[in-house]
Amino acid sequence: MDRETRDMLLETATRFFAERAGKDVVNGVEKGVWPADLWREIEEMGLPLIAVPEEQDGVGGTLADLMAMLRVAGEHAVPVPVAETALANLLVAAAGGKPAGGPSTVALGELSLQGNRVSGKVARVPFAGVAERFVAIITAGGKSTLVVVPRDAVAIEDTPSHAGEPYGTVTFDGAMPEFSAASPVSAGRALELAALARAMQMAGAADKVLATATEYCKQRVQFGRPISTFQAIQHMLAELASCVAATIASAESASRDADEGGLEKGGSFSIAAAKTQCSDFAHRIAALSHQSMGAMGFTHEHILHHYTRRLWVWRRDFGSESFWGEKIGESFARAGKDELWPALSESRYAA
Amino acid sequence: MSIPKLEFPPFHLPAEAEALRGEVRAFLKETLPKIQSEDRFASWNTPSPEFSRALGAKGWLGITWPKQYGGAERSFLDRLVVTEELLGNSAPAGSHWVADRQSGPLLLKFGTEQQRQAILPRIVRGECYFSIGMSEPDSGSDLASVRTRAEPVPGGFRVNGTKVWTSGAHRNHYCITLVRTSGQHGDRHKGLSQLLVDLKTPGVTIRPIINLAGRHDWNEVTFSDAFIPEDCLIGNEGDGWLQVTSELAFERSGPERFMQNVYVLRELVRVLGRQPAKRASAILGRLIARLWTLRQMSTAVAGMMQGGKSPAIEASLVKDLGTIYQQDLPEIARTLAESDATTEDDLADFLDVAQYASMMAPSYTIQGGTTQVLRGIVARGLGLR
Repeated sequence: MDRETRDMLLETATRFFAERAGKDVVNGVEKGVWPADLWREIEEMGLPLIAVPEEQDGVGGTLADLMAMLRVAGEHAVPVPVAETALANLLVAAAGGKPAGGPSTVALGELSLQGNRVSGKVARVPFAGVAERFVAIITAGGKSTLVVVPRDAVAIEDTPSHAGEPYGTVTFDGAMPEFSAASPVSAGRALELAALARAMQMAGAADKVLATATEYCKQRVQFGRPISTFQAIQHMLAELASCVAATIASAESASRDADEGGLEKGGSFSIAAAKTQCSDFAHRIAALSHQSMGAMGFTHEHILHHYTRRLWVWRRDFGSESFWGEKIGESFARAGKDELWPALSESRYAA
Repeated sequence: MSIPKLEFPPFHLPAEAEALRGEVRAFLKETLPKIQSEDRFASWNTPSPEFSRALGAKGWLGITWPKQYGGAERSFLDRLVVTEELLGNSAPAGSHWVADRQSGPLLLKFGTEQQRQAILPRIVRGECYFSIGMSEPDSGSDLASVRTRAEPVPGGFRVNGTKVWTSGAHRNHYCITLVRTSGQHGDRHKGLSQLLVDLKTPGVTIRPIINLAGRHDWNEVTFSDAFIPEDCLIGNEGDGWLQVTSELAFERSGPERFMQNVYVLRELVRVLGRQPAKRASAILGRLIARLWTLRQMSTAVAGMMQGGKSPAIEASLVKDLGTIYQQDLPEIARTLAESDATTEDDLADFLDVAQYASMMAPSYTIQGGTTQVLRGIVARGLGLR
């Protein structure tokens, strides 16, 4: 998409999410109410088909376009699997398939293939509770195979996330895929793309946290004046802004690098670094915003927890700061001290 | 109501800047081992006239300045790349640093033609070094309260007062000094001016102020009826505040705010060995990710500046995060090395490095605008004050 088209899409998405994915919808999902209308409209807008080529029934656009949309979705705590479905569709399309309608998700974990049948167990699969199909990439004999397994072929144990979204443990016991094909995207790469999606959602959520806390402090009056006029509060919010800025900057850089380097390998290191950074700062962002809003922000009534709880969940999804940090640390240690700056300045793994 | 959105649009340094990076890197690889340095781990404030002259000979000082003053008329992004490589390779860049970063640009913007011609070509050659004469005993973060007075007398000014924390005054040639030329102490931003002070001027006395690590970087510079000729006034009389704030912008957004002690990270990589334990790798990786993020932020700020914007809040955020990172780094690295260094000798050596880095760490969040001053700027940007 050109810049103008993307900006228009993001503007439309922002307005749409603000109107249709409000507080009640987010709270509803937590109580197990599936927002069927919201999902239908998201599909009608083609959001989960961004970056899928038009000749494969997608709406076109780039990986960066998709990621930019996911940042907006994060900014509104959109409580449906728009990221997961878009990712599933992208992977299916890359393997030559055509995305199906309905909510999907990705099951990224240790799975095996016997003949055409899939076995294994993946925990904490996002939106397993509502997904109509599960997309996985299985590595065997150096080859990557993409499988699409329908919901009725697996067993699902509900393990809702701490943000109240319908995550679950999915057991494949010789499950028969409805589609399988050689995948140009490896399992490791699929995990990177998923981590990138989460980093961008975290950037959006972090932005919203800052805006929410700032507005609150401007309006909350104590000791006869808005608490935003107290220096202690000002400095706390400035520190919050610095953590939010790091989250946004790292995610956006990774998105750019992934897009420029191509679906199959672009921005590997940048994604790892960004997910490490975003996950690392989630704690400070939550701590500072909650501290600035006092008891009010700790209630279920307020929306702040829609974002802070997601930050806590998302930092763990698709690799935490320990997981990605370990990959980075291993690589830089293996390469030795003289490779540190050259690799860092080129945004690549050192070895 | 809404707050201004924080944006850090990812920015690629242009190909010619990256090509320059290769040249600078090759030069440093060849030159640094030959340079005598008083520091085992040099940084942007470790002086070495020898190194500065070598860099000047390559044409990499005053790189953005007009050719008529010896500059190369290259882009601000080319300068960024040179800066990054100096920091990334721990080059002793202290002699020329201030002159190249802020004094030269200040003279270019506000100085007289005579001042430019007399000084800039010497900075470009790596021969002329500057100190910053801003802080005073009673005037730190509250810079507008400076008391040093320059009284107009026939042919110039008679200057009385004291500047402190004047880095390098004992080795540098000039000090751009913020003084009150008119009005009263309480007039704040009004009546301030900047003078180009030759540090050999009679009546100017330089005494060391030793820092807690035992180093002599700082000085106290006392003016006792020092006569400064009128052609040493920089810009207009009374415009000092405007000029000094423009100078401070150069101080805030550079990579020296997060790469000053990158040697700690490099040494940490060394002592952890080629195959650290998982937990150690993860902690190392988190430190690297933070540094990478800071670099992305700083590059994004550079991109915005190149595009004609003045991202003051974003620049302040980079310095705030960057200096705190530099403070955290030796502490995290020290405890990690204690549990995971491969040999006892390596550990002992590294603990000395980390200890030195920890001693220097308090300075990072003070110099060039304290964390609290920066957070005040950010808070204003957020519409809180």
